[in-house]
Amino acid sequence: MNPTQPNPVDYSMWKLMAWTGPIFFIGFFCMWGLLGSNFPPMAANTSAQDMWQHYKDLQTPIMIGMSVCMVLGSCYMTFGAAVSRVMRRIEGGEGMLANIEMTGATITYCPIVVACGIWLTIALQIDVLSPEMVQTLYYLGWMIVDLAYMVTSWQIIAAAIVFLRDKRAKPLVPAWVCWWGFVTVASFFPVSLIPFFKTGPFAFHGMFNFWIAFPTWYIWIVSMSVFIIKAVNRIEIEDGAASPSAVREQSGSLIGAR
Amino acid sequence: MSTSPAVATRRLPGVEGVWVFVLADMCFFGVLFVSFMQERIKQGALFETARHTLNPDFGGINTLILLTSSWFVVLAVDAAKRDRLATIPKLLLAAMLCGIAFGISKAIEYGGKLAAGITPMSNDFYMFYFSLTGIHLLHVIGGCVMLTVFWLKARRGEFDSRNMKVLESGATYWHMVDLLWIFLFPLLYLLR
Repeated sequence: MNPTQPNPVDYSMWKLMAWTGPIFFIGFFCMWGLLGSNFPPMAANTSAQDMWQHYKDLQTPIMIGMSVCMVLGSCYMTFGAAVSRVMRRIEGGEGMLANIEMTGATITYCPIVVACGIWLTIALQIDVLSPEMVQTLYYLGWMIVDLAYMVTSWQIIAAAIVFLRDKRAKPLVPAWVCWWGFVTVASFFPVSLIPFFKTGPFAFHGMFNFWIAFPTWYIWIVSMSVFIIKAVNRIEIEDGAASPSAVREQSGSLIGAR
Repeated sequence: MSTSPAVATRRLPGVEGVWVFVLADMCFFGVLFVSFMQERIKQGALFETARHTLNPDFGGINTLILLTSSWFVVLAVDAAKRDRLATIPKLLLAAMLCGIAFGISKAIEYGGKLAAGITPMSNDFYMFYFSLTGIHLLHVIGGCVMLTVFWLKARRGEFDSRNMKVLESGATYWHMVDLLWIFLFPLLYLLR
C-alpha cells in the first residue's frame, strides 16, 4: 500500500520560474538586439552582397548573440509555466485556458530557437555561403519567427481572459495588462504581410511590423513578468504559507508583495 | 429657498480596458496613416494616378453603411439604458447585418481590383490600399463576431440598465471601427 504523499506547493520553484520572464526579456534585449545587431534589423531590401558583408563583419558577435539566445529562449517556456500556474488559481484545476497559455508559451520557443539557429548558421558558415544563400537563409529566419505569431497570440489571449475574470478586489494581474495583451495580438496581424513587402511599414524591418509589433509584445512580457512575480508572492500569503514580511524579505527590494 | 444643483455623475462608458485597446489601436492606425502620407509625398504622381482607379462610390456607400451600423448600436445602448429589452436584439442584429454588408461590398471591390490585375504588389499605393483596408476589414469581421455574441446575449435578456458595461465596451470598439473608416475613406479615395 502506498503511503499518502504530502503535496505542498513549491513556492520557491514557482518564483524561480516567474523570474525567468525577466531573464528572457533582458537576455534577448542584450544578446539578440544589441550584440546581434538587430536594433534595427538588416532591412529586407538589402542587397545579397551587403547581407553577406554584414554577416562577415559581425560574424563573432552574431554567433555569440544567437547561440545565447537559443538557450535563453527556453526561459519563455518556463515563464509560461509560471503564468499558467497563477492562472489555475483563478480558473480552477480543470481550466483549459491555463493549458493553452502554457502550450502557447512553449511552442513560441520553437520558432525562436529555429530562427536564431538559422542566423547563427549563416554567421558560422559565412565563408562558404554565396550572397544569395545568405539572403535566402536570412529571410527564412524572419519568416519563421514572425509568421508563428498566432501561437503566441493564443497564449496572450488565454492569459488576458483568465486574469480579467479574477474576482479579487485587487486582481493578481491588472486589467490594463490584459487589455494590453489584446493590443499586442491586434498588432501581430499585419505581420502576415511580411512576405509581400521589402520596404514600407509592413516589411519585417518596417515601422509597423518591427517597431510597433515587437515593442508592444515586449511591453506585455515585461509587465506580465512583474505582476506574475508579485502574484506568486501574494498567493503564498493567501495560502498562509508565509507572512507578508517574510515574503518581502525573500523577494528582496526589487519587487515586494502588496 | 435654495436649490442644490444636480450633480451630474460622469463616467467612462464600458470597462476602462477597452479604452486602452481603442487608443492603442488608433495609434497603430495613426502610424500607418503617417507612413501613407510620407509615401504619398514621395510618389505624388503615382499615388494620384492610382487613386483615380478606386471607385469613390464604394467608399461612400461603405461610409454610410458603417455610420448606420454605429447608429443602430447607439440605439441598442439607449434601449438597454431604458430597459426596453425586446428592442435590443433587433438593433444589434441590424448593426451586425450592416457589418456584413460592409464586408460584401469590400469583397466586391477587392474582386474588381484583382480581376483588373491590380494586386498589393502592383505599386506602393495599392500596397497601402489593400493593407489598410484589409486590416480595417479584419476589425469589421471581429466586430461582427462580437455583435453576433451580443445579439445572442440580448435575446437571453442579459443586457439592461444595470448590466451595460459589456455592451458599452463593444459599442466603443464598434465606433472606433467606424471612426477609422472615416479617416481611411478620404485618405485613400478622395485626397488629391
